[in-house]
Amino acid sequence: MSAVVENHDHHDDHHGPRKGFMRWLTTTNHKDIGTLYLWFAFAAFLLGGAFAMGIRAELFEPGLQLMDPIRYNQLVTMHGLIMIFGGVMPAFVGLANWLIPLQIGAPDMAMPRMNNLSFWLLPVAFGILLSTAFMEGGMPGFGWTFYAPLSTNYPNIAYFVFAIHIMGASSIMGSINVVVTIMNMRAPGMTLMKMPLFVWSWLITAYLLIAVMPVLAGAVTMLLMDAYFGTSFFDAAGGGDPVLFQHVFWFFGHPEVYIMILPAFGITSHIISTFSRKPLFGHSSMVYAMVSIAVLSFVVWAHHMFTVGMPLVAELFFMWATMLIAIPTGVKVFNWCATIFKGSITYETPMLFSIAFVVLFTIGGFSGLMLAITPADFQYHDTYFVVAHFHYVLVPGAVFSIMAAVYYWLPKWTGNMYDERMGRMHFWLSFIGVNITFFPQHFVGLAGMPRRYADYALQFAEWNAVSSVGAFLFGLSQLLFLYIVVKTVFVGKKATPQVWDGADGLEWTVDSPAPYHTFDTPPKLNG
Amino acid sequence: MDKGPFKNKIFTSLVGAVIFMFFFSFMLVPLYNVFCEVTGLNGKIYGPSDFFKKSNETYERQVNVRFLSTVSGSAPVTFYPSSANIEVLTDKVSKTTYVATNNTNKKLTLSIVPSVSPGLAAENIKKIQCFCFSEQTLEPYETQEWPIRFYVDSELTDNVNNVYLSYTLFEKEREEVLVANHEH
Repeated sequence: MSAVVENHDHHDDHHGPRKGFMRWLTTTNHKDIGTLYLWFAFAAFLLGGAFAMGIRAELFEPGLQLMDPIRYNQLVTMHGLIMIFGGVMPAFVGLANWLIPLQIGAPDMAMPRMNNLSFWLLPVAFGILLSTAFMEGGMPGFGWTFYAPLSTNYPNIAYFVFAIHIMGASSIMGSINVVVTIMNMRAPGMTLMKMPLFVWSWLITAYLLIAVMPVLAGAVTMLLMDAYFGTSFFDAAGGGDPVLFQHVFWFFGHPEVYIMILPAFGITSHIISTFSRKPLFGHSSMVYAMVSIAVLSFVVWAHHMFTVGMPLVAELFFMWATMLIAIPTGVKVFNWCATIFKGSITYETPMLFSIAFVVLFTIGGFSGLMLAITPADFQYHDTYFVVAHFHYVLVPGAVFSIMAAVYYWLPKWTGNMYDERMGRMHFWLSFIGVNITFFPQHFVGLAGMPRRYADYALQFAEWNAVSSVGAFLFGLSQLLFLYIVVKTVFVGKKATPQVWDGADGLEWTVDSPAPYHTFDTPPKLNG
Repeated sequence: MDKGPFKNKIFTSLVGAVIFMFFFSFMLVPLYNVFCEVTGLNGKIYGPSDFFKKSNETYERQVNVRFLSTVSGSAPVTFYPSSANIEVLTDKVSKTTYVATNNTNKKLTLSIVPSVSPGLAAENIKKIQCFCFSEQTLEPYETQEWPIRFYVDSELTDNVNNVYLSYTLFEKEREEVLVANHEH
């Protein structure tokens, strides 16, 4: 830490980090914890990606080649759980930890010790979940949606339930920390409407998490009671109702979908504005759009289960409510386009990822609109069209935005510029790979190929082979990402505090790399 | 921060929200059942109806009632309706039976869960007597005939002419046989 220029008065509590492993185990520093979260998410991304490679290898040609259907189901389930709860969500929490205090001019998160706990619960939760791989009965194989009573009859269900409980507790603590930090620790003069959009997106996300993670905890608790304590919440034999499970699960599940995309909206707004060298078009309309999306997310859950036999009036309600979400989302896409319009644009890696985000996320949004149409959904339900839809919003949506954020703020975190040429190469490989993987899945889905089977009918063979080739390309190119990030941590052109000439915000006023302690005295806002 | 987090109003109310939402997820269970009962959604039928019919109905019509049976999982029972469908007149009480056979040498306790399709017809199927109202027991290798007495009330919407009554049989308990004929 000798390179850090400490230009503030010295107190006893201003110290550098400890050395070695204990630094990371006991840290209460928001930057350290953010780094931990991001590395954890990257490890989960590679592990979940390895599972995805297994899935695509099995689906490369019809028939059963590499694994039996039980193993295949386990890979599908673990891929979903690891990517959602271990990849995307911790990555966004890591970005929140790094950036929220820097962007609002706070010295740290409001509750640093709880922050440490909420990170270290995650490896525990995933340790429990992954330990089932070495047990008789194996990993959970009922899909990440764990529909009861299928899941209650599975072996090792208790491990799954406790893993979900622990990662839920971690998310809830992280969210409470975010809300309390934003509400109490903004620099003087930073009103709510002046807050940077990433902070806004996380404030809304945190409220969503606080509202729905306890419902998930309740759902898995009921599952546990059905499996071991003789209750019958979801078991028709004892007077329960399996459809109730779907209602409870998707009451959590739909807001969860927006938890995984709202922070991406915030990130994209910053990056597009920076590289267009223009202030963001429609700052407050962006805020209102995110709030509307969050509110609407609570009244659309049944569009995941149109085929359970709902009455017509419910199907109509959930169809229209779902389509209504396209309006605030359209406002956001419009604002991004209007920001780019007549800007002085340069195409650095973060900008490339963000432009790809806008285009490909919108494609995912359009297929979402198709799925929202109830009668059409009866055709698309549980086909690869759904798989293509949610991978378009999650991979080139959420994951691309995380990659964009890493490239954008990496110079601030490490003090080194990443290798621009390699960054662009990583972008193009990912962009091509992701489209080759998921675009053909629209075709086989519309042609009727169902999800969650280890095998398929012969007529789907060509597109599945194409899709698998794309997946291997996408998967391998992430090793390049790992290489670029690791290299940037150690070497690279020294970054200036400003880093990007169009960047605006408090995080660009501190040194690069950001000193271990920043904003011990609140900054003055100009303007 | 020396005051401790619980002095912070936002922190306290957020913790309260988490606790509330956890219990809210359990409240969804009775809420859902009440909602289904009031609206008659989901094809659920709750308990017996009184055998009494309001009078001044203007017309009666014929409805085709079809009977389905499902044995859940690996319950060792043969279970089927004695007639696959019957034509009934609205507001007239009809009777039919289901036949169940225990295929084991152990006494079985069974529960049978009804469901009506289309779901909106559920509240118009009025059952006076049904084997589904209580648990049933079958002695080893016993066959029983289980009666249902029901009527379709004339408030059934006009565009429904076929109603499906489906029963799913679940094994609840199997009597443990004592070691008498235990061979080794």
